[in-house]
Amino acid sequence: MSRIGPPLLVELRQVGKVYHLGESRITALKTVNLSIHRGEFVAVWGPSGSGKSTLCNLIGLLDVCSSGTVRFEGQDVAALSDDQRSELRNRGIGFVFQSFNLIPVLSALENVMLPLQISGVSTAQARRAARKRLAEVGLDDHAAHRPAKLSGGQQQRVAIARALVTDPALVIADEPTANLDSENALRITELMRRLNSNNGTTFVFSTHDQRLLERVERQIQMRDGEIIDDRSPEQPAMRLDRSVGL
Amino acid sequence: MMTWIKLALRNLFRNRRRSLFTILAIGLGFAAVNTLGGFTAYIFTSLKDSYIYAQGNGHLSVFKTGFLQEGKLDPTRYLIDEEEMGVIQQVLARHPEIVVVAPQLHISGLLSNGKVSTIFIAAGRVPSAVRRINEHARGMIGKIQLFDGKSLEDDVIHGIGLSRGLAEQLNLDLGSDAVAMAPTVSGQINALDAQVFQLFDGPVEALEDKLMSVSLKFAQSLYDTGSVDRLTLLLTNDDTTETVRAQLAGELAAEGLKLEVKTWNELSTFYTKVKQMFDVIFLFTFLIVFTIVVMSVINTVSMAIMERTREIGTLRALGFKRRGIVGLFAAESMLLGILGSLLGMVLTLITWSGVAFFKPTWIPPQITRRVPLEVYLVPDYMLYSILLLIVLSLAAASLPARTAARMQIVGALGHT
Repeated sequence: MSRIGPPLLVELRQVGKVYHLGESRITALKTVNLSIHRGEFVAVWGPSGSGKSTLCNLIGLLDVCSSGTVRFEGQDVAALSDDQRSELRNRGIGFVFQSFNLIPVLSALENVMLPLQISGVSTAQARRAARKRLAEVGLDDHAAHRPAKLSGGQQQRVAIARALVTDPALVIADEPTANLDSENALRITELMRRLNSNNGTTFVFSTHDQRLLERVERQIQMRDGEIIDDRSPEQPAMRLDRSVGL
Repeated sequence: MMTWIKLALRNLFRNRRRSLFTILAIGLGFAAVNTLGGFTAYIFTSLKDSYIYAQGNGHLSVFKTGFLQEGKLDPTRYLIDEEEMGVIQQVLARHPEIVVVAPQLHISGLLSNGKVSTIFIAAGRVPSAVRRINEHARGMIGKIQLFDGKSLEDDVIHGIGLSRGLAEQLNLDLGSDAVAMAPTVSGQINALDAQVFQLFDGPVEALEDKLMSVSLKFAQSLYDTGSVDRLTLLLTNDDTTETVRAQLAGELAAEGLKLEVKTWNELSTFYTKVKQMFDVIFLFTFLIVFTIVVMSVINTVSMAIMERTREIGTLRALGFKRRGIVGLFAAESMLLGILGSLLGMVLTLITWSGVAFFKPTWIPPQITRRVPLEVYLVPDYMLYSILLLIVLSLAAASLPARTAARMQIVGALGHT
């Protein structure tokens, strides 16, 4: 079936993931099929151990699948070397972690500059881009602060600025509001939603947070390593087009 | 590059106490090795100067070929006669870098106090030439008098010096009279009256009751010859010893003389043995110190990797390559090496200044008087120590850093 719409960004076909712990095998993902298009705002939700973090890790090229195929921008990531995957993550994917994962010895500005400096961008250029992103998340006056001097909400905004500084096609957020109070969780949710609308950045995040789910156009529900529901409340008809094999 | 060095430096001071102890271990190791190195350099220089200048042996000695191997069995065969001396002097005169030429004749025989006799061996030398060699000594060596009593003189033939053991054996003291007896080169027994001018300590225990010091004229009179068995040469510069030796050997051979030229370190077995001993001590110390340094760095880097596992995962997620992680920890350990070496240099300078200021003294082997204990600053040792410590620090960090780089990103991110 042909469809006209945003281009495909990530595609998972028959993807499975098995972990080996000693002699025991743990199946984290069973045969999963999924397509994510540019500009989508996608939540992956489900109980603990349902496989949502594993799914996010595979989409974010942090891990490789045990079976099946993961394609990012049409490229089979299994065919890439570790260095090539690192380069792809650096330029194409931003990460927001539950515990913020800022580098404690770097200031907010230096943390945001980091992905650009990894890719070899000059310090002056990286500083300009990082300042712009910090201003976008409302923290331009906290640029010199080290993470320890920032609140949880501020740290997560710095992490979002860091995730966006390379203008990635995709941002993966692992329970971004889990460690935040209600007010900060709401601000972070609104911020991500605004960046998605304004910049067209694709967001995929795992969450338990019902408030966040209410603001998401596409919800993927997981249980026991499988996608059991993939729906778009406002546009249910599109869901079937986007989801492969569901 | 500066960004990563800045990051490495900041990481280094996250656990200040641990980094400080590692830097201290490196610094103390550096100071220990360089202080010991400075002390051994002082010992080697002192032994060398003592042999060349204080004992008047010069830098080079010229012998008849085979003298050192067969000379004791057939000494007359290896004597340098006056005619040969003349030719040799002409060759030596072409070398302005030779500042003193001192002929010697080593003799052996019996020394008697009138009642009992005992064996002696003696170096017959020109006292004024020996004094000229002494005067060229640097530092304290030239000022140390190695005997009690008065100097021997070129023209006061009967004046002799005795090792204390020999003097005790014959119950002789300063001013005592004695008789020296020995066969002449033609095989006749000859005897000469002598007076004890000086007493000195023998360089080795075995010679303590046998050594005698006489003027060349005394030795030649006793052996009834005008010949000598060697010529000792003092050069203006230690560094030219090998060059001059090679030139002289060639020039003397060209004159048709069967002579060999030996350097001071070939003849001073004591210097060679002491140097070998200190080299072994230095090597062991060096190995112990640097093992401690390597273990400290491995421990510091391993602990840092364990504590920063999640951070490693984050950096990898952001696009840091594996070699970037290795590079980051290598930079941290390199900084440990550099800071430790800088501290070590400061500690070495403090030790050196302390020794120079307090001027401690000691009695080294073979010298009966207290002499200043010194520690030299050896820039070469310092430079090699810095380079080696940095390389060792890098090598010590490489294994844990590679382990860190090979971590699974997901596992590292989930590390608590």
